[in-house]
Parts: sequence; structure tokens; C-alpha cells
Amino acid sequence: MKHEQAKKYGMVIDLDKCTGCGACMVACMAENNIPFKKDETNKLDSITWMRVYQLTNGKPFPNTDICYIPRPCMHCEGDHGHSPCVSVCPATATDYSLKTGIVSQIYTRCFGCRYCMAACPYHARYFNWWDPVWPDGMEKYLNPDVSPRMRGVVEKCSFCFHRYQLAMNKAFLEGRRELEEAQYQTACAQACPAGAIVFGDLNNTKHRVHRIVQPDPAHGGRPKNPKAFRLLERLGTNPKVYYLSSREWVRRLADHYLPNETPGKGH
Amino acid sequence: MSTSDEKVKANGKTEKETPPEQEVREKGNGSGGPILFFFLVGFIASLLVGWIVFPRLLYSKKKQPIDFNHALHVETVEEGCASCHFFREDGSFSGVPKLAKCMECHEEAQGEDPEELKFVSEYVEKGREVPWLIYSRQPNCVFFSHAAHVRLAGMDCVTCHGPVGESTRTKPYEENRITGISRNIWGKSIAGIKRNPWDRMKMDDCAECHAKEAAKGAADLERPIDGFFNNIIRIAFPESLLGRKSSAQTRNEACFVCHK
Amino acid sequence: MKMDRRSFLSFVIGGAAGTALSPLPWKLTDDLAIWSQNWPWTPVPERGEVSFVKTTCMLCPGGCGVTVRKVGDRAVKIEGTKGHPVNDGGICILGLSGLQLLYGPARVPSPLRRAGERGQNRWEKLSWDEALSLVAERLAGLREKKLPHTVACISGTDTGTVPRLMERFLAAYGSPNFIRTPSMRDSYEMTLHLMQGVQASAGFDVEHADFILSFGSGILEGWGSPVRMFRAHSKWKETGVKVVQIEPRLSNTAAKSDKWIPVNPGSEGILALGLARVIVEESLYRKAFIDTYTSGLEAWTREVLGRWTPENVEQATGVDKSTLVALARSFAGARRPLAICGRGRGDTPGSIGEFMAVHALNALVGNINRKGGVWAVPDPDYIQWPEVETDAVAAAGLQQGRIDGAGSKKYIHARHLLHRLPEIVDASDPSVVQALFVLEANPYYTLPDRDLLKKAWKKIPFIVSFSSFMDETARNADLILPNPMYLERYEDVPYARGFNKPLIGLAKPVTAPQFNTLPTGDVLIRLARALGDPVAGAFPWENYEQCLSETLQDMWEPLQETGYQVASDFEPGSGSGAFDTASGKFEFNPEKAREAAAHVSVQARGEAPGYPLILIPSDSMRRATGYIGDPPFVVKTVPETVLKGNDLLVEINPETAKALGLSEGKRAVLKTPKGQARVRVHLFHGVAPGVVAMPTGLGHQAYDAYLAGKGVNFNDLIAAVEDGASGLNAAWGIRAKLSRA
Repeated sequence: MKHEQAKKYGMVIDLDKCTGCGACMVACMAENNIPFKKDETNKLDSITWMRVYQLTNGKPFPNTDICYIPRPCMHCEGDHGHSPCVSVCPATATDYSLKTGIVSQIYTRCFGCRYCMAACPYHARYFNWWDPVWPDGMEKYLNPDVSPRMRGVVEKCSFCFHRYQLAMNKAFLEGRRELEEAQYQTACAQACPAGAIVFGDLNNTKHRVHRIVQPDPAHGGRPKNPKAFRLLERLGTNPKVYYLSSREWVRRLADHYLPNETPGKGH
Repeated sequence: MSTSDEKVKANGKTEKETPPEQEVREKGNGSGGPILFFFLVGFIASLLVGWIVFPRLLYSKKKQPIDFNHALHVETVEEGCASCHFFREDGSFSGVPKLAKCMECHEEAQGEDPEELKFVSEYVEKGREVPWLIYSRQPNCVFFSHAAHVRLAGMDCVTCHGPVGESTRTKPYEENRITGISRNIWGKSIAGIKRNPWDRMKMDDCAECHAKEAAKGAADLERPIDGFFNNIIRIAFPESLLGRKSSAQTRNEACFVCHK
Repeated sequence: MKMDRRSFLSFVIGGAAGTALSPLPWKLTDDLAIWSQNWPWTPVPERGEVSFVKTTCMLCPGGCGVTVRKVGDRAVKIEGTKGHPVNDGGICILGLSGLQLLYGPARVPSPLRRAGERGQNRWEKLSWDEALSLVAERLAGLREKKLPHTVACISGTDTGTVPRLMERFLAAYGSPNFIRTPSMRDSYEMTLHLMQGVQASAGFDVEHADFILSFGSGILEGWGSPVRMFRAHSKWKETGVKVVQIEPRLSNTAAKSDKWIPVNPGSEGILALGLARVIVEESLYRKAFIDTYTSGLEAWTREVLGRWTPENVEQATGVDKSTLVALARSFAGARRPLAICGRGRGDTPGSIGEFMAVHALNALVGNINRKGGVWAVPDPDYIQWPEVETDAVAAAGLQQGRIDGAGSKKYIHARHLLHRLPEIVDASDPSVVQALFVLEANPYYTLPDRDLLKKAWKKIPFIVSFSSFMDETARNADLILPNPMYLERYEDVPYARGFNKPLIGLAKPVTAPQFNTLPTGDVLIRLARALGDPVAGAFPWENYEQCLSETLQDMWEPLQETGYQVASDFEPGSGSGAFDTASGKFEFNPEKAREAAAHVSVQARGEAPGYPLILIPSDSMRRATGYIGDPPFVVKTVPETVLKGNDLLVEINPETAKALGLSEGKRAVLKTPKGQARVRVHLFHGVAPGVVAMPTGLGHQAYDAYLAGKGVNFNDLIAAVEDGASGLNAAWGIRAKLSRA
């Protein structure tokens, strides 16, 4: 058997289609046993692996425009896997897999120093300030494929890696070693009622993500599709979540472009 | 402060009451005796506590609800372990069979064995699942793929689970009172010594085997490189095929391979 | 031997050495580490075999197919059913959270009888036999007093076997008062009735339209069947279908549209008439369709459109003439243009003049019962039960006419007028409603003018809720007879709001009932039996499941399998056969339209000087507004610009804020002629100056601790405004005053 080609799982979210409905957030919460508290209005301590932010062009009525932007973990590749959070973890509780391109996290290994949270430029990591508490009986819906986390550890979006594992199990049983695009999908991509989230292997030319984004390996995966962009592209985090928008103000805002700069023109 | 005062007093008293010669004799002659004795008492007692009392305190013992005879079943069924411990269609492993599986044969008692009769009357007839105690249950943070090990890597059950199929009785289930985890994970030997690969099921044991497999893989290019815990080789020979990192930090394909 | 100090020390050293050489410290360290990583109080979800059950979501009238993933006996996740005609694998935020409702703390655990005062939330558990005999006694007593018509039922829907059983029960018992909760369904039904002569639901072939003109419809806020609309919206984006949104506030729909036309709140209908006028004047309409299949255009143009010159429209709506004309041209110029209405989610029926005007726009472009247009979808006719045989008491009761006045001379076209009920009850003595049943509805929360409602509520001596949840209505009832949740029971769902094909979904038990519940269908059968003939005679079934399977006949088996049956080859019959009017044609109905157009723009209650601002509701997918309250996951997604702690934030334009001396997050008092509330303000450029937009779906007092007490209920501040032409509630907002707190 030949050496398998490394996969690079990534996502492209079409902001023209995204309606800001929040289904991805809840699909993620339901899939990944994310806890909830009585008051979740302080968004700094509200755990949402997937969070939908609202952007606005700030123009006065009636020229105002808004756009929603769902933000999972970007699974930054950084420079050869040195994503901002992975590099700083003193416990080796988080790691970047060169085989799948997924930034993983062992909750039981994490000791809660929150260095990774400080390092993450996308606020994609969350700290468990409290033990999770489900009202009596509600723990029945918990998903056994994802372990509930405890107080004092950091957690974040895993690209539903357990679904990859389960899909691989089935593949092994059927004597396959490769997955089709549809066999491994994240909960958010599956749920999105607008079909705005497309998930797959950026290295696989057959996958829709690759075809939509057209990542340029010579330039750190920067998209060749002019509508596509990444958040804080110029930071060099090399994220694997891409966005599509036909609106220029959205693309500008995504990387804090100055008024005299043009997005996509590089540094 | 008061303690040191008392000490001084006590010393003074001793000096007055015991003649100096005696003190010298005791010091020079017998001092090694009691000290060594007390050392040994402490030493042996703590060894006894550590090796014998501690494990008994640490683990609670529970009997399985039914004394199950694996050997008898293995003889009767056609596909060995997989007859009852099978893969489901979705690739997941069924583990300990559910009542429905048992009832395929035991809807009614097949013999006179009191354990079987108990099984039929207590569980089959009442439609209750048997609350089996699972010896090899890992903590909830562990992800383990039976499919990858059995189907992909072609391992047999014995390698990790031991010759369970030969047993005629179920051994008591011992549970760690602190962690709530089965004793089988740490292993029967409280020292953690293992003679057979199935004696322990800790993370190190996974790692040990994976390092070996990876080393084999390096020699044999036909074998898929699935090494997980092969740090040593990789660090020592970074340019070797194995030295190719599969993850940024641990070089072990990252945490999610074995953790959930 | 004596133990001196040195001996002791050597004992300790020996002990330490021995301990070090024993496994104790090392094993203990390891165990403590493992213990600290796997706290015993962190739940460990049980593993098991994974299975999938296909069923139908009943949390809104969207009719989506859902597939529930189970592990062993536990339901762990709800996903959309792939291939389902409505949602094809997609699912909305509320549907995803269904399991939090199933296993959640808001469930009613068993039949409950009120122990304290109403609303005190003190309950006494009782058995089903006790509970049912309580109701039966009460009903028998009213019948004896020849007052069967004083029993009423408020139901979330009137389609499907359970609501129909309820209606049948009331009919056999002697009451015509089966009242459906209000929504735009009422106005669309009436529109189709008035203009096409049919009794049908409006379906929209949104997938095939190529120009969407929306008069404030929250396409992305939950209008129609939300997931289907989202999917259609994405398709529009792919194929370049133009969407024009007419709305005073920049909603999500407006933000995603190709053109957002802010109008003066409440003037949408006028804009529709203005557009029609331009289309007629410039002869942009489809002549072939108009000439062959319609009647009354000329008279309608003369009598209804006459006064709505572009100038007048501009003045009334705030939309300038050139925009109006350009819009009319591009709408009429599209191949399959579709105009829709029903504001926001369509929770309020709205003005019939507006609906007729918008529907006329569709007729002008020939898009009635055609690909990409509005279809009249008949209700599925599988419920074929024998006629109810009534006795003299029942017949006399049915003769009384409905309490809400629907169908009476004044409200001849209306079928349900629930918003009128509180006033009528409040004015009557003794109450015209002696017993009230509430089925899959939460009127105590959703009806406007809750002060009046509360007064009327007190007058009703006996209120029974069939709710699965401790919602506001259940909490303020005398008796709760909990229905199992939709994931625990069988029920047919023959309606998917806005879907353009007849569809029957089946909800079926995914898990065993979690609580001591009894399906309402069974409750009715048992109550009928307890009441004896003639009521019992109308219910020949052993139990509800038998009733359902016999009713569905040969659809029962396939429905169990797939979860839905759709008439995929359904064609609404284009051409003359489709119209059941006197002329056999689509009727612009100038006579009724003129009357309706007189009320096309409903005035907001209140006077400008005291209430200088206009308060409008703003809907969002993240806030459920119907019978169901937000489950914890959904509450969690409500942004901090809507809810901060328990405070609700209302949106105002920065200009308005400046004039009032308010800044972001500042507390304020919002006052309307109907009530007042303490709120905070959120500054948003997307809302017109002078308008206050208030998030709906909050301010619950019941359900669970994750929802109760958060924010303010919009219905506390608004009152119904009766449409002079239809009797339906046409309120779209109310005048308001906002002042610093």
C-alpha cells in the first residue's frame, strides 16, 4: 500500500448564503455536548465552539448593511503546523495533525493555563469556568462520541473529529482506507439550512472545498477565488476556514484593511 | 518554644537517673540494634501496607451478575469471539452483548446450570438487561477503535484482552475506589508489572505496542505507517521515514487519535 | 523496648523507604491524576447501538422531516431528513434543540390540578382516571344546563386528526367554538377564498420564481417553512434571482436582499397598490392571462387603484416615485415574478387589503397556480369520518354561533378570530366561555393586549391545558392533561406552511414517553366515552392509534417507513378549472377589494404627541414566538445586542438616540398606550429614525429557568387592531414613547 496523501480538512462558508440563523451554533452544541448556563449573555464566558458574529458596514440609515460570519476554530496550519495555540501549550494538550490538518485538544491533559486562548487571534477557544450542569434528566441526550468537559479546561471546535473516527471505523470494516466527501461532515455543515457551509479535504481536488477555494499552496493556501478570503489573512496563521462574500466591505473588514489598501493585494 | 524546653528538661532528667557508663554502653553497643529494628519495622510495615493492604483498600470487589462460562460458549458457537462480540454495520464494536443477542439461543434455558436458570428467570423473562461489569472499560476521555485494530491491523482479541475465551468462571470485577475505573486497566499487578501484553491497558501500553509496530513499519515499506507513539525513533532518526512528523507537537498524529 | 526519638525517626525513615519501594505513592499519584481528570460528577454518556428514526418536527408549522439519532434507548441528536421535500437534510435552530425540550425541565410530568391560585404554579398530581373524570363531570354539568356552546377550544392548528378530533368532540358535544390561533394563514386563506373562490392554503413555488418581491415577509426570519425558505434563498443566490425586500427595518432578509426598500411602517399595502397601478398604466401585465382567466381588472383599476398615483404612494410610503416605477417595471419584466406578504414570521394575520393587493400583483403577472407562483393547495382529504350525529342539546348549542363572531354576518369571511375573544369574554357576565381547552397553543403568551387577556382569563371558570410543557397558558390553567411530546407520540402533520404541494408528515414515537402523559387523541376518545351518547357515538375507536391508522388507511404503513407522503406530481390546475368563483375566473373582486383597500394601511394605536415614536416587532430565527419557547441552546445564541442579563435591548437609530439623550446599552422606559416596560437601547443604523424595533419571543414567565424572566413580551405592549374589512387582527405596531430611565 502506498503512503497515504496527507489530508487537510477545511471549510468554506458562503457569507452570501449565510442567514445568521444560528443553526450551526446549536448543531455544534448538540453534537459536542456543549454545556449551557442560566445566563449566557456574557459572551466572554459563553461556550460556543461555533459562533456567528454580526458585522456591519457602519453606514447610516438607509445605507446600512449587515453580514453574519460564523466562526468555528480556524484550525490554523501556521507555518508547518505551528498554529498560534499549539506552539504555546505547555502541557502538550493541543496538537496539529499533519495527517488531517486538525488542531486537536485533550481536555484531560489540559491544566487550564489559558495561554492558548491568549494566543488565538480568533477567540475560538473557550475556558470552562464552571463544571457543566445539565438539568435532571437532560444528560440523556449527551453524545457518547464526545466526552463532556470538566471545570478548568479549555475546549474548542474539533471539526467534529469523532465523526471522522466513526467514518474511518466504517471504512476499515468495509476494507477501505479513504473517505468520500459525504462520509465525513461536521455537524454544522450538515445542519446548515442554507447550505452555506461546505466541508472537505482542501488537498483533494475532487472535494468541493478545493474547487471553490482553489487554495494556492505556493502562498500558504491563500485562495485563488477572488470572492474567497480568510480572517486576518496577513497574520500568517494560515487558517483552513475560508469565507466567500461578494461584498467588498465584508472582505475588507475581515482583515482590517485600511481605507487606502485593496484586499487580496497582499502586504 | 515550649517543646525545646521540655526536651532540655527531659534530657537533664535522663542524665541524672542513668549512670554515665550505662549510657555509653547503650550508645556504643546496642544503639544499632533498636534503630535498625525500628527501621526494619517501619520498612516492613510500610511494604506490607503498600503491597498488600493498600491494594485491598484501593479496590472494591464486585461479583458479576451471572457467572459466565466463556470456554463453554466458545466451544458451542461458530465464529469464536465475534459470534457475540461483533462489529455493527456502522463500524462500531458492540462490546458486551445485549440481552437480545443472548436470547437468540437462551430464550429458554438450554440445560440445568443454575447460572443459566438464574439468567433466564432474572433477565430473559423479565426483559431486563444484564448489568455486566466491564473489565476493560477505559475512562471516558479515551477513543479506541476496534475496527482499526482488528480489521485494519489484523490483531486478535487475545493480544489485548488475554485468553478470556478459555475461562470457565468470571473473575470478580475490581473497581478503583478513587477513579472508579476497572482494575484491568492498571493490571492485576499492583506494581504495574506486566508479563503478557494483555496484563495492562494503560496509555503507556498502547504506546509501547505502537512504537514497536512503527519500528517494524519503518523496515517494511509495504506496511502502512500507522505509528502513533513512536517518538523515540522519530527523534533519534529524524530523517528516517518514521521521522516524518505526523503532528506538530507530539509527532503522534495529534491527540484526537486516541482521545475524544 | 522503649521507643526513643532516634528509634522513632528510624521507624519513620524505614517507613518512608518501604513506602517508596511499595506501589502506594506511585499508584496513588496516578489514581489521583486520573480522578482529577475524570471527576465523578462529570456525566459519562452511555454508549450503545446507534439507530435512526425518521419523523416529523412539530415545533412550528414548517412541516420539516427530521431524523433522530439514537444511542441505545436515548435520543441524542436531531438532524434533517435527507430527501424530504420540505427541508432535504437541512434543519433549523429550534428543530435541532428538540431534545432539550424532550428531556428538559419544562415538561409537565403528569396530570396536574391547580393547588393554589391560578398562576401560582402550585400543583397537585392526580391520576389520569381522576383527571378525566374531573373534566367529564364538568362537561356533563354544562350540557345538563344546556350550555354546551360555552365550551371553547384554542388550538394551534386545525389540520390533522388531533385538532379534527377536538373539533368533532366539540361538535358532538354541542359547541362550534373551535378557534385556531391567528397567523397570516388566516389572511392568505381569506384572500384565496375572495379572489379564487377556493378553500385552500397558499403555497409558494419559491424554488422556481426568478424575482421575489417581499412585502416585509421575514424570508430569513421564519416566514413559511424556515428551512425551505433558506434553501430557496441559497438557490436564488446561486442562480441570481433578484430579491427586493420592502420593510422599515434592516432585517436579515433585508440585509441579504438585492434591494432593500425601507417604507414607512404599515404602508406596505399602499406600495403594492402603487406598483399595481404602474403595471396597469404601463400595460406591463400579462395580457393573455388577464384576458382569459381573470375578471374585474378594469373596475378594480378604477375603484381601487385610482387614488394611488405614484405621488400619493410616495407621500404615504416614503418610497420615491422613480424607485416605485423602476420596481414595477422590473417586477413585471421578470419571467416568473413572485410577490409575497405577511410581515416577519407571519404571526399576525395583517390587513386583508394588503394581502389582496399583493395577490393581485401576482395575478397581474399571471403567476397564479403556475411554475414559480402562488398555488392554491387544498387540504389533504384523507380524514373521512362519518358525519357527527347530534342530539337536541348539541344542535341547539351549535345553533348559537361562534363566540368569536367568525362566520357571522359582520365577519362573514373569517373562520377564526381569536383576538376578539378576550374582549368578548371580559364584557360578558357570566362569561360566555365556561370551559376552555387549549391545545398546542400558548395564548396566554402570544395574544396581544395581555392586560385585557388576563382580565378575561379570570372570568373563565375552568381552563384545561393539553400542553406537554409548563408554558404560560398551562401555568395559568386549572388542569393540565399533558400530551406526550411530538417525539413520543403518533400524529399526522398534513400541513407545511407555504409549501406548494399537498404533504402529510407523520410524527412518531422516537423514545418511550418520559413522563406520565396521554396523547390528546386518547384523552378525547376517553372523554367522549365518559360522556356517553351522542358524544361517544362520534368516537367509535378503541384508541387514538387505531383512529389514526384507520384514517390514514394504506398510507399508514409507508408513512411509518418514510415519515412523509407527498403528492409530488400535484399541479394546482392552471387555467379556468382552478377558480371556483362565480365567473369561474380569478377575480380582482373590486367590490370587496375597495372595502379592503380602504383599510389597507392600518393606523397604529396611539396619538403622536404623547407617543412620538413607532414601535414595531422584529422577529428572528433565534427566538421562537409560537407555542414553543426557546430551549436553552437557542437562548444561548441570542446575541448580547438583544439580551443582556435579563434586560431586553430595543433597537433605535443613533439619531433617535441622540434626540432622546440615550446611548448604547442605556436603560430606558418604553411606553405604549397598552403598557410599559423597562428596557435598554441598542443603537442600530438599520432601523429608521423615529422607529423602535423590539425583539419578539422573549419575556416568558414560564417554561424553565433558562428562559423565564428574560426580556419583555412584545404582546404586553401591543393591542389588536381589527381590520375593518376582514375582522382579522391587522396590527403591525403601535405608537410608543421612549424615555431615559
